[in-house]
Amino acid sequence: MNNKRIAFCYTALGILLLVLIIMNMLMGSSSMTAGDAFRILFSHDTVSRYGRIVWDIRMPRIIAAALLGGALAVSGFLLQTFFSNPIAGPYILGISSGAKLVVACAMVYALTHGIMLHSFVMIIAAFIGSLAVTAVILLISGKVRSMSVLIVCGVMVGYICSAVTEFLITFADDSNIVNLHNWSMGSFSAVSWENIRVIAPVVAITVILSFLLSKPMNAIQMGEHYAVSVGVNIRAFRTGLIMLSSILSATVTAFAGPISFVGIAAPHLIRSITDTSRPIVMIPQCFLGGSVFCLLCDLLARNLFAPTEMSISSMTAVFGAPVVIAMLIGRKAR
Amino acid sequence: MKSDEIRRGSTGSGGSKEVIRTESLDSGYGRKVIVAGAELSVMPGEIAVLIGPNGAGKSTVLKTIAGQLETIAGTVFIGGRDRTEYASADIAKKQAVMLTERQPAEKMSCMEVVSLGRYPYTGRFGILSREDRRIVRETMELVHISELAERDYDQISDGQRQRVLLARAICQEPEIMLLDEPTSYLDIRHKLEFLDLLRDLARHRGIAVIMSMHELELAHLTADSVICISAAGRVEKAGPPEEVFTDELISRLYGLEDGRLRQVYSGFAESIGKMTDNIGKKTESR
Repeated sequence: MNNKRIAFCYTALGILLLVLIIMNMLMGSSSMTAGDAFRILFSHDTVSRYGRIVWDIRMPRIIAAALLGGALAVSGFLLQTFFSNPIAGPYILGISSGAKLVVACAMVYALTHGIMLHSFVMIIAAFIGSLAVTAVILLISGKVRSMSVLIVCGVMVGYICSAVTEFLITFADDSNIVNLHNWSMGSFSAVSWENIRVIAPVVAITVILSFLLSKPMNAIQMGEHYAVSVGVNIRAFRTGLIMLSSILSATVTAFAGPISFVGIAAPHLIRSITDTSRPIVMIPQCFLGGSVFCLLCDLLARNLFAPTEMSISSMTAVFGAPVVIAMLIGRKAR
Repeated sequence: MKSDEIRRGSTGSGGSKEVIRTESLDSGYGRKVIVAGAELSVMPGEIAVLIGPNGAGKSTVLKTIAGQLETIAGTVFIGGRDRTEYASADIAKKQAVMLTERQPAEKMSCMEVVSLGRYPYTGRFGILSREDRRIVRETMELVHISELAERDYDQISDGQRQRVLLARAICQEPEIMLLDEPTSYLDIRHKLEFLDLLRDLARHRGIAVIMSMHELELAHLTADSVICISAAGRVEKAGPPEEVFTDELISRLYGLEDGRLRQVYSGFAESIGKMTDNIGKKTESR
């Protein structure tokens, strides 16, 4: 059995997660020692310079990277199950860009009218964008049989949404435009504690609901006909899958902007290590894998060219895209 | 079950105990009828084979009986009850399907695929009980695929794959099995082995089997009853093989020229006959 591999994967991911959290905490434009960090964490020091860095900047950012990274990976896995294609993901299918467009509209509107957007409003805006693009992709998938054509269409839809977003950002004149621009490139830097109080429950509930769908997901991996024959209500199931996946990717986009390739690379790496695609194993492991992936990428994005910070998406692309390419080549070879 | 018997009696089907029956069944896609007015009935332990030209609608009929397609008109009775009266989870315990769907399952071991047959019996998370695991193991032994347990389903041969899928269907402990051209991709030895297995299953477990097939000679060998579906989408004839396999009927069903069928099969039989004669002579001369 591959139980050993699964156990190994859990252990490895657990250790990596811990190490990366610590590294993210200590490293940055101003480094600190483990002793400093411990003292600050246990004394609830939120006023000294280091205290403010830990509590106001690094902690929310680490939590955001871990939660949103996990959400992205699970969202990708759900889409892959839905389309029975391992290259499907929220970014490549243009779903993230759709979310980005609607959030940008909402932000520009709010900025010009001097309104503060609540985190929930941001998620809802992103969710509307995700669903709109998903609807377009589903329409296309009804017309084209080939998965690769569908993926190309998704990339195109993504470009269109990004272009429109760029327009908006270019012509919206406001002092906050720099923030908006950073966000639209993808970054965990703007996530606040107030955001996290919304992100954490939304992500937790959605991932748990996805986990509860493991059993029918397992059946549909053997084909839709088979799933029907063992009593899966296919329409309800598919709707649920798309909704959950959209909520997850919408939450990510609302707070961190579009982040590329995590949704494909993390599930693929996990699948290769555990040697199984059983959803009951995949969903929790994908979540952990996505967290680790994003924490690593964020660590590098912050520190590689410090004090200049790179966008998280370019970092995830550097690591994620080769994984996807290797996967494509591997599939062709078979 | 008892109330079913009564209801079955009232449908006036002559008191038979068929496990599956269709009544003036129109099947097809959307509203487009492909096979009209099909009347079939299969007893427990019986193998019914659907034959007919490409595109006649053999798969369509199978999919409709399986519930993959909605019936356009008419009724499918399972155990004497209208199919639509069952909850889909209950049907899954009565009916297993093996349809041609060559979807590669990524990173699934053969054992995982077979285990999926227990789907209707497992709980919320689909975790196998000890009993489920015993059934999976025994079924894999039964169809001789125990050694494939840990192999990737993607990387086994067509013959092995059909056995894995058969094992999955058996694990579902069905009363009815529906198979769509299960032997098409197999060589002659694997075809025969597969059909022998199916034969045994039907006999020993009393499973009613409906399958479509292109190989007439194998249909002749395996079937208890043969159902001919014509290019026009009608059940042309249904009956025991010796009644169905006549030169005239088969030639008409497939639109063959006069004498063509005879030429193919008697020519082949003659060669095979010579082959066996030659082997006989060689062994004699030794």
